[in-house]
Amino acid sequence: MTTDITVKIGGAAGQGIQTIGTLLSQVCHTAGLFIFSVDDFESRIRGGHSFNLLRISDEPVKGPGSSVDILVALDQQTLSLNRGNLEKDAMIILNSDTETGFKDNTLAIPLKGLAREAGGAITANTVAAGAILSILGAPFDALETLLTRRFTAKGEKIVSLNIAAAGKGYDAAGDLRFLRQFSWTPKQTNTVIINGVKAAAMGALASDCRFFSFYPMSPATGVMTSVVPFMDKLPIVMEQAEDEIAAVNMAVGASFAGVRSLTATSGGGFCLMTEGLGLAAISETPLVIIDAQRPGPATGLPTRTGQADLLFALNASQDAFPRFVFAPGNPMETYELTKKAFTLSEKYQVPAIILLDQFLNTSQVTQENCFTVEKDLSRFICHDMDMEEPEKYLRYRFTNDGISPRAVPGRGKALVRATGNEHNEAGQISEDAENKKAMNAKRNGKHAAMLAEMTAPQVFHGDSATLLVGWGSSREIILEACRIMRQQGRDMGAVIIKDIWPLDRQQWTEILENKTLIMVEQNSNCQMGMLISQETGIFYDAAILKDDGRPLYPEYIIKKTQDIME
Amino acid sequence: MVQASDYNNDFENKWCPGCGNFPILAAMKEAFAAQNIPPEKMMFISGIGQAGKTPHFIQGNIFHTLHGRALPVATGAKTANHDLNVVVNSGDGDCYGEGGNHFLAAIRRNVDIALLVHNNQVYGLTKGQASPTTALGTVTRLQKQGTVSQPFNPLAVALAAGAGFVARGFSGKPEQLTALIQRAMQYRGFALIDILQPCVSFNKINTQKWYMDRVYDIDVSHDPGDFAKAMGLAMEWGDKIPTGILYEKEGVPFHQRIKELSEKPLIDHVFDPEKVAAAFS
Repeated sequence: MTTDITVKIGGAAGQGIQTIGTLLSQVCHTAGLFIFSVDDFESRIRGGHSFNLLRISDEPVKGPGSSVDILVALDQQTLSLNRGNLEKDAMIILNSDTETGFKDNTLAIPLKGLAREAGGAITANTVAAGAILSILGAPFDALETLLTRRFTAKGEKIVSLNIAAAGKGYDAAGDLRFLRQFSWTPKQTNTVIINGVKAAAMGALASDCRFFSFYPMSPATGVMTSVVPFMDKLPIVMEQAEDEIAAVNMAVGASFAGVRSLTATSGGGFCLMTEGLGLAAISETPLVIIDAQRPGPATGLPTRTGQADLLFALNASQDAFPRFVFAPGNPMETYELTKKAFTLSEKYQVPAIILLDQFLNTSQVTQENCFTVEKDLSRFICHDMDMEEPEKYLRYRFTNDGISPRAVPGRGKALVRATGNEHNEAGQISEDAENKKAMNAKRNGKHAAMLAEMTAPQVFHGDSATLLVGWGSSREIILEACRIMRQQGRDMGAVIIKDIWPLDRQQWTEILENKTLIMVEQNSNCQMGMLISQETGIFYDAAILKDDGRPLYPEYIIKKTQDIME
Repeated sequence: MVQASDYNNDFENKWCPGCGNFPILAAMKEAFAAQNIPPEKMMFISGIGQAGKTPHFIQGNIFHTLHGRALPVATGAKTANHDLNVVVNSGDGDCYGEGGNHFLAAIRRNVDIALLVHNNQVYGLTKGQASPTTALGTVTRLQKQGTVSQPFNPLAVALAAGAGFVARGFSGKPEQLTALIQRAMQYRGFALIDILQPCVSFNKINTQKWYMDRVYDIDVSHDPGDFAKAMGLAMEWGDKIPTGILYEKEGVPFHQRIKELSEKPLIDHVFDPEKVAAAFS
């Protein structure tokens, strides 16, 4: 029998919600348990209402839990907001200075008071972690070991202060235990706790990306933050640009000079990058851009999640050119698709856009540690020795597949001429009508070969008459909803798309035709549904759209599906 | 020895006859030859405008980029391979208007590049609108009542932002300009030369004669390390316009401030999958 418990830790920004969640996750990890942790934060540093939703299970979990088993209310507001959504047997830990003790399934403890007793009010989060782990039945030494490891760098005093605080919380819970219990025997597993931003950073590093340029913007900043711990181990230069325009153009410049480069932003920053995207396209300079989506337009909801940049990513910049668009569904796919984006962007000399979002970027999940680094990295750069006459090198030479051998400047006799103007084979400005047609045909001619690089939409229970169709980070939630509905006896399948563009019309048509299609997307205008209609002529039958900036949950999909089917 | 003619190419030049860009182009070739740098070691990066076309008319590696964006592209390229000799050709509109933010940031970074701003106080490519350096009240085809913004002072702004090499040239003084370009390239860091030039088609006020009547060589007694004097020269405009090096002070260029680039250019590192895998675990 699987034990699967969801803990919700809520309070005001600045109360250390994330710290508590991280401590719990790490203790679970050492016991070989699996977690899925979602943060829900307001765009503020102090106050308001934020929470962490931590699902803990002894079986792998890939999505968030939506029913709350243990509520940790760091303030009264959390209690009143969540009281209605608790499971029958739920327990509550309430931060209260006035009414301490256990009553009506609620354990009231003064977190700050106990922290002060331990020696410092700042350790209130550690007190909370101690109390929660006590209720979950975790042995105290697991937390003690973790705290020692975590704070050793800050000195012995901080370590013992935190251990004392943890003990206060642990003891405050006394013999209270949650109904369902895990086995807390320490277990060595080949797993890691990871989120989308770290996976993206690792994917870039495994692709020999050495130059990272960015302008801070939620929820993309985490990609760059995740690169930082590797900076003293690998040859990496990271530059915070003056704006997103500079960030993308620096990446283009570094890539042009022969170094793989990444820039990451969110929708608003990507708006500024579209001009540079076009420059990369016409100059056939490899470029990988991460667009970590959040609801818009303009500033929109800065710390919330969404999937509303799909059509923008597909169409950004004026006129037409080939590009890749990917949307991974979990951290492992993020790692793999980031590697794929780097390889293909360089191979075809086209931009590649990776669509992430706040949910994927910040949700932590226990994942098998299988982040392989390829021994032989394919590079698609030519040198003087590959040429018969380097002095006569033509950067944009017409070839059968539209891919001109790409040299980089300053590495030999071959002169590299590139421009954002339409140009001839030599890279010189050309307004010649025939040349314009030929250059369009050359660039667009890469499409067929690019198409062959794409994996088909993944189909689950394709024999079902009804299919939930989704893309990107909602993958695991849609699959979970599908699984539950099938258990309930409903004929339901799912189609999940991660390689979005270019798309194979025939292949997609075969998957989607003659089915009842229910689109599941986190936007207000059903963008994948529009793309499918545009490319295959197949119109979706219904759409479950969640455009409130909050994560999608299986229960939401199930409820909406019921409404649709009835 | 590299000759200036080694920098000739056969691409048809598209500037107006008499354009101030011609002597600038000639001075560039002379300067590179004088330093014995062959074309394959040169990286010309430009933005948009008549000045932005310059790289097409010279032998070398080129990247003719977007309006205002030459400096970020140059920053990326120089960071990837600091062995490249990067020269940026820009104009008053391109650099001080569209690319203003990048101009300030590139100065702050002290990227080791030579920035040549072809400053003709007018938009040439788009046929005669006011530029950031057009004098207040100047009547153009578009600004019939005269321009209503005061002109931008690139040299004073560069000095205030902390640029280590600030100079002014004039297309009508090719020998001085050649020398300035050489000095800018030898300077280890961000070097700005604002180059005055006539636009024969669209600027009927700031003509060759207008400039000839006003420009004078900065006196040899000027100490280029004297910031206050340099600022004084930068503010001088009107009847007398100084040309030459206003300010020069040693600094640490961008790529030398970055630990990873101290040993060798970023491009010269060899990918080590085992090291990456070890970093992951």
